[in-house]
Amino acid sequence: MDAQAVSSLVELTGVGKSYGGVAAVREVDFSVRAGEVHALLGENGAGKSTLMKILCGEVGGYHGRIRIDGDPVRFSGPADAQRAGVAMIHQELDLVPALPIADNVFLGREPRTRVGTVDRRRMQRETAHLLDRIGIGLDPRRPVESLRTGEQQLVTIAKALSFEARVIVMDEPTSALSAPEIDRLFTVIGELRRAGAGIVYISHRMDEIGRVADRATVLRNGSVVAEFDARAMTARQASAAMVGRPVESVFRAGARGAAGGELLRVQDLAVRSRSPGRRDPAGISLHVGRGEIVGLAGLLGAGRTELLETLYGVGGRPTGRILLRGEEIRPRGPRAALRHGIAFVPEDRRLAGLALDHSVLANTVLSIVDRIARIGVVPRRRERGAATEVVDRLGVKRASLRAPVGSLSGGNQQKVVLGRGLLTDPVLLLLDEPTRGVDIGAKAEIYRLLGEASSRGVGVLLASSEPAELIGVCDRVVVLRNGRAVRELDTATTTEAELLAFSMGEGAVEGLVAGGTP
Amino acid sequence: MTKVAELPDLNRPGNGLLVPLFRFQSLFGLVLVFIAAVVFSPTRRGELVFLDSGNLFNVVRSMSEIGILAVGMTLVVLIGGIDLSVGSVLGLASVGVAVLLTGPGFGLVPAVLLVLAIGLGFGLLQGFAITSFGIQAFIVTLAGMQIARGLARIWSGGQGVSITYGGGPGQAPVVFSLLGERTFNGLVPIPALIFAVVAVLAVVLLRVSAFSRHVYAVGGNEKAARLSGVPVKRVKIIVFGLCGLLAALAGIVHAGQLNFGGPNDGAMYELDAIAAVVIGGTSLMGGRGSVVGTVAGALLVGVLRNILALRNVDANVQLLVIGLVIVLAASLQRMRPASVS
Repeated sequence: MDAQAVSSLVELTGVGKSYGGVAAVREVDFSVRAGEVHALLGENGAGKSTLMKILCGEVGGYHGRIRIDGDPVRFSGPADAQRAGVAMIHQELDLVPALPIADNVFLGREPRTRVGTVDRRRMQRETAHLLDRIGIGLDPRRPVESLRTGEQQLVTIAKALSFEARVIVMDEPTSALSAPEIDRLFTVIGELRRAGAGIVYISHRMDEIGRVADRATVLRNGSVVAEFDARAMTARQASAAMVGRPVESVFRAGARGAAGGELLRVQDLAVRSRSPGRRDPAGISLHVGRGEIVGLAGLLGAGRTELLETLYGVGGRPTGRILLRGEEIRPRGPRAALRHGIAFVPEDRRLAGLALDHSVLANTVLSIVDRIARIGVVPRRRERGAATEVVDRLGVKRASLRAPVGSLSGGNQQKVVLGRGLLTDPVLLLLDEPTRGVDIGAKAEIYRLLGEASSRGVGVLLASSEPAELIGVCDRVVVLRNGRAVRELDTATTTEAELLAFSMGEGAVEGLVAGGTP
Repeated sequence: MTKVAELPDLNRPGNGLLVPLFRFQSLFGLVLVFIAAVVFSPTRRGELVFLDSGNLFNVVRSMSEIGILAVGMTLVVLIGGIDLSVGSVLGLASVGVAVLLTGPGFGLVPAVLLVLAIGLGFGLLQGFAITSFGIQAFIVTLAGMQIARGLARIWSGGQGVSITYGGGPGQAPVVFSLLGERTFNGLVPIPALIFAVVAVLAVVLLRVSAFSRHVYAVGGNEKAARLSGVPVKRVKIIVFGLCGLLAALAGIVHAGQLNFGGPNDGAMYELDAIAAVVIGGTSLMGGRGSVVGTVAGALLVGVLRNILALRNVDANVQLLVIGLVIVLAASLQRMRPASVS
């Protein structure tokens, strides 16, 4: 196809969006032609989702211009965008769990009968037809909550199809799909393409992009940094563009923490699974030395979070042994864990880390207020002193102590959660994705703090899904798969590709060695 | 998703004046209502009836029971809960203290302490049920409301218990009747004084204590609080216990003012208490609010009722006015910017 001859279906010019002075998207030009699949790549927090939410009318207050078929548009909301033929399949499944599939597909635009009631029969008939097209034979009357995650994902795709959209944004549409389901999805994408639709495809899976996409654009820190022919692009090129130069330099400099004796030893740690969605530890053994930073690698659902939660006493009663400084402990909850000197930084800071309305001060000292209190009274000066010290050390502006923590940037919010943990004076830090959605500058600060803590003898267990981070920051990495520790790697002699391959499974390692790039 | 009306950006320096207005919303409201009351007050012999010191203290006295309940309710609402049982517990306590004082052999102090302990225990039990069985506070205290009412009727035999004073058998100690009296030259009603003491204690507790940090944290983000080492269950149980304790105190004051223990008394008081909390600017979502606001909210309702009564406004119209004030206060709160904590 002669690309130049085909005019763009969608064209974004100079689009930008800032949140509280932090630019999420800067001056981006992006286009999709009719019949084209355009892949959008970038690290977490690179601005992919924000850019696409702008396109789909979910985020307003941006600058720049969007044209569809050459006509300038400015959507007032997702419904407005849908009417113009733009639909988005979200990474977070936006379905109502208790409602049947058909009701979810037609939510908010239910067909009516002549007397004005909802035409259920038509809804179910059309839904069945859509599901057929994707190749899943589900009963449209089944409630969404009774479906597997992968099936739910396919339902969202059916929903997007039902809009008869001409522009479809797919944000990680295959994250929960099995291989045959992915094949089926790609067939549907092929049909859509032939029908003249334009598709934006967001994914971290390089092999998929090579299979399905025509073009690939890479975003970094909100800007377009590269554009590739998707079929000719190698994984190495793409990740180099995604990561960029600065990341190499943000990792801690200098010698790695020399282990100063054993701090934590975990033996055969297992929790009998409580719910199907959890990947509880199934016999994990590992150790962390004083001043050592040990990484936890693994794919989504490998059980990294569950392991950290179990060590912190919030993941169910484990069997096996946890030895801290040679003594066996059984943390029964966060309070007990903190008393033992274990601090935890949870994965989702907004959900589990912070009271966003409350001040930076209140959030920072929360774990120690009862410790510093005398006969139940918090000494103001001591409290402020402790918070100021942490805030200074973290590089958060001192003036913001009274400001609600929700008004800070993601990076500074994360520093507050980390600071709260550090204030408890821990011997062991458990960190779950501490740099997710954090800009490069804040990342560097966080790594520096980890380095500082480890040089004081604090042991760190760091769960991360970024291989570069694990290799750059950790002394050793333990790879988890299906709730088990399958491999331990010395980061001095391991590559990112190896780490990723071990996370995916042994078979993948051979494929990598044989093929170079997928 | 849907487009919402653009609100003025209150975080901008130019709007700095608005911030204290929002923070002390109910205090400003109280001042406004007070001024309006002065303006509209009827006069008697050239004097404003509303500003008569006797009348003003009557306003405080009339709100003291609701005010005491509302202070406890503020704590509960701050942790994101609600307590529907306080009106019934007030009834139970008024019956309890009346029965114990007029029955044989119970001294004043043991009787009062026992009734307070009943209120505390009732609240603790509700808190325990909420945290241990994971049932919503609304449901547990809805049940508690019925149970306390039932207990009050059983204890009193379904009849009101009159309190007579004296030294003889079946008579309450005369000291108890002080609750119906005034002090400082017959000016300040004792119930108003008790309300004031409770409010001051609560304000101080919420300002300085580590416990209050835990209360706000639980309401602000329960999960984060738990992971930060806040003993969430304990905090919740204690808060419901304190709310029950204050409801029992209000019940004792109630019995003392009326010289009567009424098993059916206090019905709907829980809603008046919640109204005072809401008008006071405390968020029903938890984590935001203050006792100062609640006290101002309670007094605002009191002044409003008073001036409407002085102007001989129909009691039913009074209800309309109070209802509108609640809506107004709640909508002001929605407009409140995040920077006002």
